[in-house]
Amino acid sequence: MAANDTNLADRSGSLVESHKSYQPRVIFFHFVILALLATLVAGLAYQQLFNTARHRDTERMQNQRRILVPGPRGNIYDREGRLLVGNRPRFAVVLYLDELKAEFISEARIIRRNYAEAGDKDLPTRDQFNQIARASVVQRYLDQVNQILQRHGNVDLVDLRKHFSRELLLPYTLIDDLEPADYAKLVERLPVKSPLQVYASSTRFYPYGSTLAHTLGYIGVETDIDAEDFPGDDLKTFKMKGTIGRDGLEKVFDTRLQGEAGGSIFRVSPAGYKINPPLEKRLPVQGKNLVTSIDLDLQRVAEEAIVKIAGDDMVGSVVALDVRTGEVLVMASKPDYDLTHFTPRPSHDTIADIEARQAWSNRTISSAYPPGSTFKILTSIAAMRAGAIDPDTPIIDCEGTLRKNNRTYYCYNGRGHHGEVLLADAIADSCDIYFYQAGWLTDAEVVAAEARRFHLDQKTGIELPHETGRMVIPDKAYKERVRGEKWYPGDTANMAIGQGDVLVTPLLMACFTASVARNEVITQPTLIHHDNAPTQHTESIGLTAKQRAALLAGMEGCITHGTAAKTLALPEFHIPGVRFGGKTGTAQVPGKKNVAWFICFAPLENPEIAVAVAIEGDTPNEEYGGGRYAAPIGATILRKYFDKRNHPPAFSTPIKPE
Amino acid sequence: MPKRFDQARPFLTLALVGLAWLLVPVVVKTFTRASFFELTAPLSVAPSYARDLQEYWTLRLHTNSELIEAGRDLARLNASYEESVQQNLSLQAEIARLEELLRLPAYADYRSEHARVVRRDFSGWWQRLVIRKGQNYGIPVGAPVIFAGGVVGRVSEVHTYTAVVELISDPTVRLAAVVEGETQPISFQGGINTTFDPPKGVIEFVPLNVFASSTMPKKLVTSGLGGVFPPGLSLGTITKVEPSLDGLYKTGEVQLDPRLMSLTEVTVLVPRNPE
Repeated sequence: MAANDTNLADRSGSLVESHKSYQPRVIFFHFVILALLATLVAGLAYQQLFNTARHRDTERMQNQRRILVPGPRGNIYDREGRLLVGNRPRFAVVLYLDELKAEFISEARIIRRNYAEAGDKDLPTRDQFNQIARASVVQRYLDQVNQILQRHGNVDLVDLRKHFSRELLLPYTLIDDLEPADYAKLVERLPVKSPLQVYASSTRFYPYGSTLAHTLGYIGVETDIDAEDFPGDDLKTFKMKGTIGRDGLEKVFDTRLQGEAGGSIFRVSPAGYKINPPLEKRLPVQGKNLVTSIDLDLQRVAEEAIVKIAGDDMVGSVVALDVRTGEVLVMASKPDYDLTHFTPRPSHDTIADIEARQAWSNRTISSAYPPGSTFKILTSIAAMRAGAIDPDTPIIDCEGTLRKNNRTYYCYNGRGHHGEVLLADAIADSCDIYFYQAGWLTDAEVVAAEARRFHLDQKTGIELPHETGRMVIPDKAYKERVRGEKWYPGDTANMAIGQGDVLVTPLLMACFTASVARNEVITQPTLIHHDNAPTQHTESIGLTAKQRAALLAGMEGCITHGTAAKTLALPEFHIPGVRFGGKTGTAQVPGKKNVAWFICFAPLENPEIAVAVAIEGDTPNEEYGGGRYAAPIGATILRKYFDKRNHPPAFSTPIKPE
Repeated sequence: MPKRFDQARPFLTLALVGLAWLLVPVVVKTFTRASFFELTAPLSVAPSYARDLQEYWTLRLHTNSELIEAGRDLARLNASYEESVQQNLSLQAEIARLEELLRLPAYADYRSEHARVVRRDFSGWWQRLVIRKGQNYGIPVGAPVIFAGGVVGRVSEVHTYTAVVELISDPTVRLAAVVEGETQPISFQGGINTTFDPPKGVIEFVPLNVFASSTMPKKLVTSGLGGVFPPGLSLGTITKVEPSLDGLYKTGEVQLDPRLMSLTEVTVLVPRNPE
């Protein structure tokens, strides 16, 4: 036994490792481990203390999503507070896919089990299983809606897939633009806490259809809306579709009319599903309203008059201005288009129809025509200011034709001979030969300079897009530059009666008429109404009292016994107690359609309203007289204006500019 | 057994029972829940019958003269009701004639089922009534319930002898309403109502041309468009409307009939031809 113990002691002694407390190799590894640990601690400290902001941002970017909802656009009113463009509610039934995560998973499991039970070897991929499950669940919800509304509809699989992958946090629209009855049924029958909900958005509302279509303009879809001062610019953002002005006032005042977008920021699960409630929320705010200078009553009368007097398919435009302020009361252009067809968007048929009728163009600002005899007012002013003519002295004996420089000039407005007419009668009867002579006596350069003084060669700068710059006031330099030809007396004669190369827009002629009415040279038109807009004051025309009296007598004579007298003598164009002045014009465009013109202002003593009418003839080379086609339209507008002024409405709608 | 374990035994038992309940199949749970309602129904109904009996004996204590006087009052009332019934019949005939003339769709026809309220359950969570009729009288889920002051709510659960009615003051009840005399539908929903406060509802998607205030209230009635409630039934009075921030609509507040909180008798409108 003792021997054994000795052996064990020996063996154990041999087995015990000799251990030194100080081992250089181990100490080395201690340092290595310490260094590694220190590196880790330093890294951790760096990440936790110095890189906190970056990690917080990364976490925020991964876990948070932002949804932006556009604000409704502001309304557009006429000068009396009547709604021209507003918003109407648009109801849709939508499905919040992000609330259906559990249902999608459960449905995918069932479908997978069904495939397994059927022993189908050609199994879809996991992603395909999920897509089938989603389609199945969404169809089930759509069937609920179908049952309530007694309709049949199927899920658009491509649309659903696109929506799920790109816009999961936005509601998925099942049926858009619900009728009120359908909306009511769904409100009453869908459970309050269902993922199916009736969703309200807004769309543009045009209570008067095609009225003022070109001026109001239309809107298009804007996919990139922005919410100023709303946090989370750097987050993944889902944006509902907004709007942008594409034409007319909608385009020019887009910034003002645009609503302020609202939004919400949600925390999302790793699969992208929304977690309620939102971390941030801001309601969208409606854009600012716009009060235009348009008088809806006059506008409608003008548009109806073009159709009634000129005809259904005629091309024409009318502008009426407040003489004192330059505010546009009427801006009508035919043919036009129905704005109600633009919501939610115009169809291909609508666009094709508009293009076929050439109805896109706002002819009041985009069409430049020769002004015809209406330009004789300008020629008269230029001639009187230059001292070339005296109102009380005849300058020529009109015999219907005039032979000069081996060329015969005709008086197109002569019913026989005008004889030795004075200025007032020459204007009233629109005697061409008188104005040929006046032009020659004055010189073309002087007439052109006078036209430029009235800014007839410039854009007006009205608050609308697409105002043409093709206006022409020709002179020697112009003809030399454009045609490489010399200026002949015939060119002067043509210019004196508003023919030849002279081109102006109806809006410019309305501004010219308002300027003549105020006895000044420039009228700045505006489509924006101000309650206390000041009267415009610019340079005086510079006529003596006698010269101005003759000019006005001529314009009044045009109405009472001149070129417009026959038509305006009809009772429907009579304006009781109001004296007004006007001038007809019939612009001949060789080989093209003629243009019937009429400019006028009233009352003669203290002018308030100026009107310019231009109607294109529908048959080439056929004469469309201004007295017959355009003057009645102008008179109709004046009649309505004074009817309203003398019989104001019992109360007016309050205007809401903001 | 250690003393510490004895003290924890009730909690352990509760946990075991909870675990067992979790493992019980859904069918058993559903059956248990339904059975519970049916078994407790007599407990709810019995006090209601006891109240009826109490009222009966209270009436028995009246003198003969009082009863004779009450009988005369009742006869007069009956006479006036007879007259009203005649007027109603002629008006209904006129409405039917006009509907036919204008080719308006006929609204679903209803059978009236009058029922006694056995329990009122009002809290911040829900607002509901239990009535003394259920499957035994053919009352379906979703049927509209009315009283003399207008709409009470709609049936949400039906048991053999009782039915649960969710009041229009309950936030889970929503229906399509119109301002009396108007046609544009408005969404009405029960508000957040606490136990003793007068009942309120909220309206959404109110057109901008609707104006109302506490001094100039407007009456809100059912639209009939939703297909659940017949048109023209009173819901309450709109006492406040204000435009929403987005300027598209207004939202508002509706004061409901305070009698909703003390109803003893209601009428269930059972559709004759349910969809």
